[in-house]
Amino acid sequence: MIEFRDLHKSLGGEAILRGIDLVVQEGETLVLLGPSGAGKSVLLKHAIGLLRPDRGDVLVDGVSIARASAAELKRVRRRVGYVFQNAALFDSLTIAENLRLAQDDDRELRDVEECRAEAKVLLERVNLDPSVLDMYPPQLSGGMRKRVGVARAIASHPRYLLWDEPTTGLDPVNAETIDALIKELAAELGVTSIVVTHDLESAFQVGDRIALLYEGRIHICAPPEEVFTSTDPVVQRFVRRGRVSVPAAV
Amino acid sequence: MSTVVSPAPLRGVLSGLETIGRAALLAVSIVRILPRPRMYLRSFINQAYLMGIRSLPLVLLMAFLGGAVTSQQTGAQFTGALPLWVIGSVVAASVITELGPVLTAIVLVGRIGASIAAEIASMKVTEQIDALYAMGRDPVVYLVVPRVLAGVVVLPPLVVLADAMGVFSGWGIGLLVVDGLTSADFVYGMRFYFRPWALIFSVLKAGAFGFAITFLACFIGLEGRGGAEGVGRTTTAAVVATTIAIMVLDVALVPVLKMY
Repeated sequence: MIEFRDLHKSLGGEAILRGIDLVVQEGETLVLLGPSGAGKSVLLKHAIGLLRPDRGDVLVDGVSIARASAAELKRVRRRVGYVFQNAALFDSLTIAENLRLAQDDDRELRDVEECRAEAKVLLERVNLDPSVLDMYPPQLSGGMRKRVGVARAIASHPRYLLWDEPTTGLDPVNAETIDALIKELAAELGVTSIVVTHDLESAFQVGDRIALLYEGRIHICAPPEEVFTSTDPVVQRFVRRGRVSVPAAV
Repeated sequence: MSTVVSPAPLRGVLSGLETIGRAALLAVSIVRILPRPRMYLRSFINQAYLMGIRSLPLVLLMAFLGGAVTSQQTGAQFTGALPLWVIGSVVAASVITELGPVLTAIVLVGRIGASIAAEIASMKVTEQIDALYAMGRDPVVYLVVPRVLAGVVVLPPLVVLADAMGVFSGWGIGLLVVDGLTSADFVYGMRFYFRPWALIFSVLKAGAFGFAITFLACFIGLEGRGGAEGVGRTTTAAVVATTIAIMVLDVALVPVLKMY
């Protein structure tokens, strides 16, 4: 379970998060919507201590991220996979080496061939040809890099997955592949996910609940149908654009 | 009447102290990781190759030019005033204790320091450093320790080679351009001056320069923020800071030469 408790964060003198209270239950997929710059990625980064809160706390499996020691934080991070908005692959490493970083840790080096075989399966899961294993990230298209980022995030078999705009920049077929993967990981392995997205169709497809981050607070957090039928003007304004295509998905 | 003190200077002091504190914490992290070579050995070898073998031609060229200038200048200024063998002493003294280490360090500031700072800052702004943290990896193990260790290990042999190149070029060019200078004069002057401690001092200085260049470049790179412009600013800051650090160390280490 991931629990955000009265989380406050200012960046560059501007209050981004102004008291976030949110609980993500075990096995749940929570979609986080909100205008650009609302602090969705900032919130996600607090979940694994990439940012420290000014006030409040985040608890992952009961461990306080704000007060965790370096060793505790490392243990928590090994249980969490993070899909970065721009993939954040290491340009100087091949795709295989990028995946390898998530497959073993500093102290326990696994067999190279075993990792490579597993990496091929990971790439197939995100609809990528295993032939990219020996290529470098700059040789891949933006969409391919993004999918390698997803493969890397799931490589360590995490219990939690934090997805920062996983389908942005992907063609519809690959966006569907990622949506299906999110649902599959939740259904088969009980993976808990927080998905930050602007893609309303994807949000309604994968989310058990949808939270709207607005003006530094969670404005609404409810099942997709409830969010979609809400008469709240802020929610209405936000989901209006997706209304034409979304009902079929709900 | 109450005195109003502007908080701006205080903020500057506090920010400076915070930066020093972060640098000290980075140094402590490096020391804690050093006893576990398995974690960084491969990357260290790669970095040592990049810094050592790839920098060698430029280092030797600079040393050649440094030695050539020294023997010509000494010949031009001392001919008729002092015996010619003094050229050998001046070339050996200036190349081994000063030009060899400093020119090599300046080459590495441009070739390695700038590249380290730019690479790490660009990794920072593209969230690659965050990605390492997110995977439970320590960026100090992957990025900092291999580079700093390679700097400390590679600079001394590079400086010894630069010293040799500088002395031989000073000798060769001196024979060509200084009227009346013979090899016997040059070697006599060189032997007259030479003490083993000067060479040890040169190597110690190289190690200190290697640490300063790589540590500061890594630290400044990790502090990088902003987009492409931020990476540019970080790289410039790293080059300026490492160059100043080398000159400050050069001055600060002079008393060590006088120890023996």
